[in-house]
Amino acid sequence: MDKLTKEEVLHVAHLARIKVEDSEIEKYQIELKQLLDDVDQIKDIVVESQELLVTPVEHETILRNDSDTREVEFNMIKKNVPATNGNFVEVPVMVNE
Amino acid sequence: MNRYLDLSIPEIHELFVNHKITPVDLVEECYHRIEENSDLNCFITLNKSEALEYAKKLGEEKVEEDNLLWGIPIAIKDNISTKNIRTTCASRMLENYVPIYDATVVEKIKSKKMIIIGKTNMDEFAMGSTSRTSYFGAPKNPIDKTKITGGSSGGSAACIAGALTPLALGTDTGGSIRQPASYTGIVGMKPTYGRVSRYGLIAFASSLDQIGPMTRNVYENALLLNEIVGKDKKDLTSRECEREDFTRFIGKDIHGMKIAIPNYFVSNIVSNEIIQKLDHVVEILKSNGAEVDYIDMKYLDQAVTLYQIIAMGEASSNLARFDGVKFGYRSSQSDSIEEMYANTRCEGFGSEVKRRIMVGSYLLSGENAKIYYDKALAIRNAMKEEFDRVFQEYDFILGPTTTTVAYNLDESLDDPRKSFMDDVLVIPVNMAGLPGLNIPMGENDDHMPIGLHIIGNRLEEARMYQIASFLENKLK
Repeated sequence: MDKLTKEEVLHVAHLARIKVEDSEIEKYQIELKQLLDDVDQIKDIVVESQELLVTPVEHETILRNDSDTREVEFNMIKKNVPATNGNFVEVPVMVNE
Repeated sequence: MNRYLDLSIPEIHELFVNHKITPVDLVEECYHRIEENSDLNCFITLNKSEALEYAKKLGEEKVEEDNLLWGIPIAIKDNISTKNIRTTCASRMLENYVPIYDATVVEKIKSKKMIIIGKTNMDEFAMGSTSRTSYFGAPKNPIDKTKITGGSSGGSAACIAGALTPLALGTDTGGSIRQPASYTGIVGMKPTYGRVSRYGLIAFASSLDQIGPMTRNVYENALLLNEIVGKDKKDLTSRECEREDFTRFIGKDIHGMKIAIPNYFVSNIVSNEIIQKLDHVVEILKSNGAEVDYIDMKYLDQAVTLYQIIAMGEASSNLARFDGVKFGYRSSQSDSIEEMYANTRCEGFGSEVKRRIMVGSYLLSGENAKIYYDKALAIRNAMKEEFDRVFQEYDFILGPTTTTVAYNLDESLDDPRKSFMDDVLVIPVNMAGLPGLNIPMGENDDHMPIGLHIIGNRLEEARMYQIASFLENKLK
């Protein structure tokens, strides 16, 4: 069966920031290839106008003022945070020394 | 146990007004039915003690005589944020997530004194056509429990079809209200894009997503839509519309209406038993003074490809927020932040969601954005113009909602393309931002429901309810 290479799967997984287990690579080689073959069909569709429709919104979207609209207490959001340290969200090391 | 839930909403309202029953009676009946039918797996989270407490409080207040939805129980799809009620999107990623605010639609539901019974099962992050990608297991079709409910709003559809609650909210990105409504034999409306605020809806594909009502009949669908529409300053894609009563044309005849049926919607991709039902509907329409033409429409057969590119692209961007930092699941197996992102998303998402995010990320990366995404948007524009052209001449576009009836729950999930093909007839509506409505038009020899899809021009929901209600009566 036609499939992506292992490197291609790992590249796509990196773009998506999703770790792929070694045991899953072969499955993704096939499944991602099927989907990418599907979307490749778009190249064959002939369309006259090059105008793009990004959203069906027809009205003017008005930008709001760049100011605070509401304030939320950290205590309220804290219960959904996976790890906290005092009033901070705790994460693993971000900068390597 | 009483059977008040089998009454129509106006009949229930009458009982409230005359003090024959209280909201507690209805809410207790809902939970009794949900417990008796727990094998349907319609709900991820129940709101039982809060709902009963609220119903008791309502019962001590005066009944709002001009508010038909006062005290009526409603189920909410689990991708719509509900303050203090767990909202999971049927994903491990949000298994323990409790929103601190209500979606705008939920605020509206509460302001009309409806009672939130619980959060319904769905495909994980609304990605799927069978509700089988749910982290909490698939819901079952109440008509035949060996069959799928469809998806992604499968829990809401089964909840209505199983008569567990009279009202439910679903969401529709590429058919996720209309297709499960078809498979379970209920009424489901995807309103015009922008009619209903998406604030608080956990986004899948923002330019396609829309919240809509799922109900037992057309009239009650229109009643619920009345209360959830409106411009919202928290959602800049919501549109300013004059307040209207969507029930106002119900009961009027359909004489003189012009209806188009695209040839693609009756092509050999649709099973014969469904075409036969549609033929019967056409006879009813013609014999009641409507004009029906079969027409050619360009691009309909390309809708799935467009959808794959646009929906997966937008999803990969929207779901980037699930990184394990501020809310949701976090992997404990990481030494660096990069590792934490990748591990969290590997462990927190199911395989359908991961597949779509990966393909979406690839399609939007570098030069691909031009090759795939821009091309898809150009075709999307051409598709919208094609609909505009047809609506210059016709009032409605009709067709079947699905190509087959609901299939077996144990059918393989291995083909990643299958879930897209199930929605082939309903996706074009989302592309063009149009309203689409499913009503039942009969059943096959095995009693599985068959759905009719009514497509209207933008903001034509009231007229859609008119023709839908007319057909609903004729098809009884």
